[in-house]
Amino acid sequence: MTPRSLTAAAAMNETGERPDSERAMVTFPQGLPGFADCRTFVVFAAETGEFQWLTSLEGPAASFLTVDPRRVVPALRYALAPADLVRLRATEDTPLLWLAIVLVEADGTIAVNLRAPIVINPETMIGCQVMPQRSLYPVRHVISAPAV
Amino acid sequence: MLVFTRRRGEAIVIGDGIEIHVLRIGRDGVRIGVAAPDNVPVHRQEIYEQICAANRAAATSDAADAERRAALEAQLIARLK
Repeated sequence: MTPRSLTAAAAMNETGERPDSERAMVTFPQGLPGFADCRTFVVFAAETGEFQWLTSLEGPAASFLTVDPRRVVPALRYALAPADLVRLRATEDTPLLWLAIVLVEADGTIAVNLRAPIVINPETMIGCQVMPQRSLYPVRHVISAPAV
Repeated sequence: MLVFTRRRGEAIVIGDGIEIHVLRIGRDGVRIGVAAPDNVPVHRQEIYEQICAANRAAATSDAADAERRAALEAQLIARLK
């Protein structure tokens, strides 16, 4: 799948239906931490178009609401380790898709995991959740306190 | 669990291509070097477990339900300004 079709998958059509051809399949060779059996996911745009859903196609039913981390913290800077690039079969110049997992807590607090973003290489459709050895950003970056 | 006694400068080999070296031994800690193939992620256990827990907490099993999806998205939009 090409970057273009991923963009197509990220854009919502008017009827709200998603033809299979616009559902982007991504392989996570290492699974996701905590979901080691989930290696194939589909990425599709949320109804609003601003967010992406990452839904597992195997293993336990698991979907993640995600957002571009730079939408949350515009000045965000991440450096990928050389091993991460190898895993993604990417080079320094490959345009990558970054997604941060959103956590909606029971009391309505919304937090975003900026510590371990998901990175997808649209050219190979390989993804992984990266955990830099050191990071300035927290696992639970609260973007909103509970509604009063 | 296998238990080894290793001295500074000694190592353990796991499978094909994973090496764990004892680099320095201090009073409160041991400095360890790990060499592993690129497809084997290596993490500090407490960080890895923290990410596992965060992923489990964030996973929804009912995202096939369009209404539930829309409700979560609406909450997020409301808070992102």
